[in-house]
Amino acid sequence: MSQTRTTTATSMPPVPNREDLDATWKYLEAGVSKIMSNLQEGMDMPTYMGVYTAVHNFCTSQKAVSNHSGVIGGAHRGAHLLGEDLYQNLITYLNSYLRELVAVSRTHADEALLTFYIREWDRYTIAAKYINHLFRYLNRHWVKREMDEGKKNIYDVYTLHLVQWRMTLFSEVHEKVMDAVLKMVEKQRHGETIEHSQIKSIVDSFVSLGLDEADPTKSTLDVYRFNFERPFLEATKAFYQAESKQFVAENSIVEYMKKAEIRLDEEEERVNMYLHQDITVPLKKTCNTALIADHSGILRDEFQVLLDNDRYDDMQRMYNLLSRIPDGLDPLRAKFEAHVRKAGLAAVAKVAVDADKLEPKVYVDALLEIHTQYQGLVKQAFKDEPEFTRSLDNACREFVNRNQVCKSGSNKSPELLAKYTDALLKKSATGAEENDLENTLTQIMTVFKYIEDKDVFQKFYSRMLARRLVHTSSSSDDAETSMISKLKEACGYEYTNKLQRMFQDMQISKDLNTGFKDFESGLMEPGDDKPVDATYSILGTGFWPLNPPNTDFTPPAEIAKAYERFQSFYNQKHSGRKLTWLWQLCKGEVKVNYPKGMKTPYTFQVSTYQMAILLLFNESDKNSYDDIVKATQLQADVLDPALGIFLKAKVLNMSPDGDKPGPGKMFSLNYDFKSKKIRVNLNIAVKSEQKQEVDDTHKTIEEDRKLLMQSAIVRIMKARKKMKHTQLVSECINQIRSRFVPKIPDIKKCIDILLEKEYLERLDDDELGYLA
Amino acid sequence: MSETKIQKLTLVANDGNKIEVDRQVAEKSVLIKNMLDDLGDEQMSTEVPIPNVNDTVLKKVIEWCEHHKNDPAAPQDDDSDSRKKTTDIDEWDQKFMQVDQEMLFEIILASNYLDIKPLLDVGCKTVANMIKGKSPEEIRKTFNITNDFTPEEEEQIRRENEWAEDR
Repeated sequence: MSQTRTTTATSMPPVPNREDLDATWKYLEAGVSKIMSNLQEGMDMPTYMGVYTAVHNFCTSQKAVSNHSGVIGGAHRGAHLLGEDLYQNLITYLNSYLRELVAVSRTHADEALLTFYIREWDRYTIAAKYINHLFRYLNRHWVKREMDEGKKNIYDVYTLHLVQWRMTLFSEVHEKVMDAVLKMVEKQRHGETIEHSQIKSIVDSFVSLGLDEADPTKSTLDVYRFNFERPFLEATKAFYQAESKQFVAENSIVEYMKKAEIRLDEEEERVNMYLHQDITVPLKKTCNTALIADHSGILRDEFQVLLDNDRYDDMQRMYNLLSRIPDGLDPLRAKFEAHVRKAGLAAVAKVAVDADKLEPKVYVDALLEIHTQYQGLVKQAFKDEPEFTRSLDNACREFVNRNQVCKSGSNKSPELLAKYTDALLKKSATGAEENDLENTLTQIMTVFKYIEDKDVFQKFYSRMLARRLVHTSSSSDDAETSMISKLKEACGYEYTNKLQRMFQDMQISKDLNTGFKDFESGLMEPGDDKPVDATYSILGTGFWPLNPPNTDFTPPAEIAKAYERFQSFYNQKHSGRKLTWLWQLCKGEVKVNYPKGMKTPYTFQVSTYQMAILLLFNESDKNSYDDIVKATQLQADVLDPALGIFLKAKVLNMSPDGDKPGPGKMFSLNYDFKSKKIRVNLNIAVKSEQKQEVDDTHKTIEEDRKLLMQSAIVRIMKARKKMKHTQLVSECINQIRSRFVPKIPDIKKCIDILLEKEYLERLDDDELGYLA
Repeated sequence: MSETKIQKLTLVANDGNKIEVDRQVAEKSVLIKNMLDDLGDEQMSTEVPIPNVNDTVLKKVIEWCEHHKNDPAAPQDDDSDSRKKTTDIDEWDQKFMQVDQEMLFEIILASNYLDIKPLLDVGCKTVANMIKGKSPEEIRKTFNITNDFTPEEEEQIRRENEWAEDR
């Protein structure tokens, strides 16, 4: 392109000849100096335009050869851009300007140095922005070309200013500046008020000086990290190490924790106030180490004291502190777990003075109390942290399953828990509120969760449920259903399957009874006696934990007709089904027609056995023991207690008077019977019977467990075909653990049984094989 | 943003002619924009000397700025491929550039000096379109260039650039 114009500078300050480097630079230097040193007085537009134009003109002048870059061959291609001379001159100028500043800086120290540094930095960077704009033409062409060609150490004019500052001034003064900063921070840590905006300015300056050598358009935090962060962290560490050492020596641990908490908050606040966010993590780490990790030993030692004294707030404080350091909480968890276990055992020991007479409620409440207390602690002091919850669970599992009460047998906890549940669900005088009941059931489930022998609970629970259903003594169907769904939720469908079937049977029986009533009234001939009013429950053998009676029995003629009618009704409905009468669970009411003159006669609530005995006295007022045996066919272990109750209640008199009923005794009706109540319940379970039942239950548990283990072994072997003995044992434990914790010798015994029955065979190398 | 900011600015061309423009229009020139930002509003009243541009050209440049004053600011990444590769010019700009060669080059120089990148681009594209599809001889004729290559030199250059021949 041909040059068509000459420069005319009529209304401007004289812009120098565009080809004259010296004159151009002299002109520019004057402008730059004015900006550097005297910007406050303001730039005027002509100077601004003048400097810009001078740069432009110089860079676009046609005298293409710079004076020192060597000979560029005549055949150079592409436009040659001018500007290097300007760039170099600018560097020289900045260099000498900054050197002067360094000299002046030596006369300042501490806060005065900071003030000086900040003032000069602000002035310099504002000027740099101006100069960058004025030299924009240089940036756009020469600098851009150099950078595009990959030249190192060429920067746009603004960045050049920063680079020069760093090389010339910063390298000389940064240590002194940092010393001043650290002194100020220390003052503040000692409680003095400082001008923290100064530190903020220093931080900003250091950060601005971080330039990525590889890519000048990007900035890095390297300069700041190395020259600010590093010394700052070192000083922080030294300060807190010294302070905490002294403080711990002179104060209690609790006081120290408060102090450390305050200090940690302060440092966090410090970052927000005047530090760069980048320091947050390392500063926290440094403080954590100096304030917490270095003292973690004595902190943890204090934890036991806090636990013993229920110092929730201080434990929370300790949790917060130790959670800040790696692995800080593990020792606390271990201590916590041990402590809860000890507390649980102590609570049990307190109520278990006489283990045999232990009230289920007292026992369960003792367990719950400890759990509630420490769950509260976990929530309040340990933020409900899952690991602490796990420690709590471990501890609870320990003291629920292995404590003084369970010494006699690990079955005791589930047994007592089931009994307590039974007591809650049974109709009782103190009818608990629906809501309370639901809450208590939820608490029961808390303990249940910790029970290892869940099968024991199931056994007891199903027996007691059976009794509640048969005797219709449940306090509420809703509560029963709720409890079962809770168990189902905890242990799965299989666990509650039979329980639910029991409920179904009761429902079916209800419908059946209605059907029977219709059937019966259809049979009646006019003039017949009114049939005995009775209800029947049909219980599926497989689902109910009930056994046929262990004594012979001839039911009294009075009810024989009724139950025979029912039997034929049932057979007609379901042919081929066998009905077994569970006489021991049947009961009835008999009305008494003496003493004469009673307006409302007494009603005795009795078992069927008792009914059979009493009905004999309709025929004669006296019956001998042997007559009774003959008529009822009852065996002595059932008959004697039943008579015993009559004697005790003075329904019957015995002669000769003696301690126990037995052969040779005579029984006569007591016509002088008196009672405060009209309805007299004589159907009372006898202590020895209860004991017997508990023992039976335990026995069935042992047998069921053997079957459970054997079926688990067979299942595993069927799937695997071959397996090492030890592997089989551990796999077996895994499968059964949700029900109970099997003992290894028991599993081995079961394996032996299966070997004997030829379900399994021994192979070489301690392996077992499955025989189909 | 604020509609109230319609401020006037007086530009002085190198032949002393004064032209009043809206600040928004003048700020299409990055030079003027930076200057106003740096010097502050109190300098607004002063006349702005434009020493490298004459009255006619300045008027022409301002006409362009006026038309484009509401264009979105060019993306910061000014090496975007679309800008480089296409020689398409919108209709108004094409008409605007229908001037004699001397004026065309003056506009290019002025937009380079005033730092008005989009205008510089339009100018350069216009020149590029003038070259496109022409033989060296035609190009020389268009721009009134004397051929100062020896035949040998010419042959060498032709060989070196053979790969770019349109065949």
